[in-house]
Amino acid sequence: MQKYVIRRLLLAVPVLLLSSVIVFSLMRVMPGDALIALMGESGNVGQKELAKLRKDLGLDRPYYEQYLLWLWQMVSLNPGDSIFTNEPIPVSLRKAIPVTVELATLAMLIGLAIAVPVGVLSATRQDKPSDYIGRVVAVSGLSIPDFWLGTLVITFAAIWVHWIPPIGYVSIFESPWRNLQQFLLPAAVLGFRLSAATMRMTRSTVLETLREDYVRTAWAKGLAGRIVVYKHALKNALIPVVTIIGGQLGVLLAGTVVVEQIFALPGMGRLTVEAILYRDYPVVQTNVMLVATTLVTLNLLVDLTYAWLDPRIRYQ
Amino acid sequence: MGASRSRSGSRRGVTRRDFLKRAGWAAGMTALVGGAGRGRAVAQAGASYPDWIPASTKPAKRGGVLTRASAWDPPVIDPRLTQSVGLFQFVGLTSNRLCRYGFSDENAGPGDMTLRGDLAESWQSDPAYRVWTFKLRQGVKWHNVAPLNGRELTSVDVKYCYEAYAKEGVQTFAFQEIEGMETPDKHTLRVHLKAPNTLFPQNVAEFISVIFPREILEEDGDLKKRLVGTGPYMLKEHTRKVRIVLQRNPDYWDKGRPYIDEYVILSTPDDATRKAAFRTSQADFIWVPSPSEAELLRKTNPNAIVQSFHNTLAPFGLALAQDKPPYSDVRVRRAISMAIDRQKQVDTVFEGHGIPGWGVPYIYYQDKAPTLKELGAWWQYRPDEAKKLMAEAGQGKGFETTLFYYEYFPQMTSQVQLVQADLKKNLNIDIKIQKLDYTTYYGRYVEGKWDGMSWGFQSGHAIGLDERTYQYMHSKSPKNFFRVNDPVIDELTTKLRRTPDRTEQRAITKKIVDREFDQVLRMWMPYDNGFMVFQPYMRNVAAAALRRTDGYGSPTLARAWMDK
Repeated sequence: MQKYVIRRLLLAVPVLLLSSVIVFSLMRVMPGDALIALMGESGNVGQKELAKLRKDLGLDRPYYEQYLLWLWQMVSLNPGDSIFTNEPIPVSLRKAIPVTVELATLAMLIGLAIAVPVGVLSATRQDKPSDYIGRVVAVSGLSIPDFWLGTLVITFAAIWVHWIPPIGYVSIFESPWRNLQQFLLPAAVLGFRLSAATMRMTRSTVLETLREDYVRTAWAKGLAGRIVVYKHALKNALIPVVTIIGGQLGVLLAGTVVVEQIFALPGMGRLTVEAILYRDYPVVQTNVMLVATTLVTLNLLVDLTYAWLDPRIRYQ
Repeated sequence: MGASRSRSGSRRGVTRRDFLKRAGWAAGMTALVGGAGRGRAVAQAGASYPDWIPASTKPAKRGGVLTRASAWDPPVIDPRLTQSVGLFQFVGLTSNRLCRYGFSDENAGPGDMTLRGDLAESWQSDPAYRVWTFKLRQGVKWHNVAPLNGRELTSVDVKYCYEAYAKEGVQTFAFQEIEGMETPDKHTLRVHLKAPNTLFPQNVAEFISVIFPREILEEDGDLKKRLVGTGPYMLKEHTRKVRIVLQRNPDYWDKGRPYIDEYVILSTPDDATRKAAFRTSQADFIWVPSPSEAELLRKTNPNAIVQSFHNTLAPFGLALAQDKPPYSDVRVRRAISMAIDRQKQVDTVFEGHGIPGWGVPYIYYQDKAPTLKELGAWWQYRPDEAKKLMAEAGQGKGFETTLFYYEYFPQMTSQVQLVQADLKKNLNIDIKIQKLDYTTYYGRYVEGKWDGMSWGFQSGHAIGLDERTYQYMHSKSPKNFFRVNDPVIDELTTKLRRTPDRTEQRAITKKIVDREFDQVLRMWMPYDNGFMVFQPYMRNVAAAALRRTDGYGSPTLARAWMDK
């Protein structure tokens, strides 16, 4: 196991390096730069002045130099400042990360709270009305895009109940109740989407497990249905579900970009979108690397959890 | 076979009738969310909204918190570095200018462009209009925060500020016309210009020409971290992408004002969320682009006050690389202009509420907005004549070209596509459209080295006649994005700067506009300024021409109050 972890960690290095090259190159390939965006709608900034600003920011250096400098900054955990706002990137991240983590966590909880019970219910009541309803819900979750669902939810909440989450983010430590109001709807939107794939997987694995011999034996022993399903079948059925959840983390992070925009939450998604639009190279590069590192780490954790859940799995 | 399959399918599945019914429901829901459903009736209702809300006759009430959900975030809070509406949606409330235009409780209507004193009490020029003397208001104090601590504003402050604007940043061109400044005493500023300019006070009344304190620039090296001014509000909080909170300045020189205690601007990038905020009273006012959207808001908020934002100009038009063939040939420009059906755009895209398009605010040369007919022969939709002109210019077979644009608002894409279709149908001009993101579009457009066509713009912030004529049309101006290079325009815009008489100014401006229309130097496209929607208790908040209450025209909020 230890060897496996070390090997996975070493394999992560080229993955991250490749990610860094890709994000760096893509940002440089995109036309325009932060200075042009910053000077927006003025048009009367001289080329000399722009050249001076570019020099001050090191944007006139050869690309390989800029890349190496940035790589060093990342390794030394000092990613620098935003070109656009001059704010140190760690400061921006300290503000944005808790928002996204809170949103993602709540969404994941809501998603699981919907997916597992509905999946189990669907499986145990196969081809009954409740199964059809569950499957329709799952297909809806897969087909309805976040931006549409988010817009519908906020619009109809305003029209029908004359209420929407309070705008203007407040931290959970400042006002837990207001914070919860701000996060519940966006997390539900994200969670609904997340629940779809997980619910379908739960349904199919539970169905499969319920047909196993050991489950049949449990039934034959006269155990109560709840015990058979939840104690004997569910634990084994959840192993592939855990893998699906791991794969969903990327979807979850991508979903936060849209949902944060709709519900005006100042998380990583909004930070990154704004930075891309304004060609704020250091911010985009740092954020993408952070997400890449998070995904690599989480995937590793998922694999380890998989081994923990299923003792038959051993890594060599 | 086919029939029987169809029948069996209809019995077990969805019938055509069911499908249409459900599709109707879906379309209805989408329309409700997206603000569609733009029928004639709605457009006519929209057209009836007044373009002015008179000032309240009741005595103003003090207090309250004004809130607005805003699409914009300030990129930086340094007014030297940006002209973004994200910054100027509130800097006009924290800071003052030397001169200003009337607030909504001072004006008789939206077109009132009378210049008034802000920090300056009076101003006059020498007979040659090269030296302007401004007498500053006495007793004006900077906000009572470090490092200013409420010290008095003097003429040296204004001189320092204008010198800084001329030295670097986005306003260099406007302030580099200053040759030198004197401060004979602490309340007098004498400005020497390099060339005569009768319109100079208008330039220092532009919303972006705010006075900032020298101490902060000297201590910090820039103005990105702290915003201190002399205005009616003080910046209490600026949390990027969350909120901006302005707090009433108790030491404001205009005693008793402002009336509202706090102005909170909530960063809300999504349009549906901003509307939801208004519907649920989390926002006190909002701008919407079309009559149908104003109507939809009134369905949930029937007491809301709607103002049609007075149309004085079109900020967008078809920009051609007119320094190169084929667009350097005036016949080609005229033909293209005549091949575009502007009225169709007004009727469809703008729901019958837009203007056909012109670039200089009409209020500077005539009393009533021009009709499409008044814009002249080349602005009428005459495809047959357009074809003849193209043939005369040797372009009878048409040509291929590109058009790049950034979608400032959703209707713009429809306009671009209508122009593409008109030019293909009438002149066989094959346009390849490139929709770009803002930074790419902006960089390419202002750099001015592009070929073909662009959906061009003129800056949104400018009010003054000098900005709208000399600065945007003179061949030597860096703001001349449409690449106008016409000796007659150069001569007229320069002459305008040297003409003090208002009547003569109007006559010269009309000549500039006529010349622009005749030569099709800037091919303006239809536009609609949209609607301001206020909660029923809002008072003295009307948007005046070129001054939207939620944007560059925010200084008028110094006189706003809440009747509740």
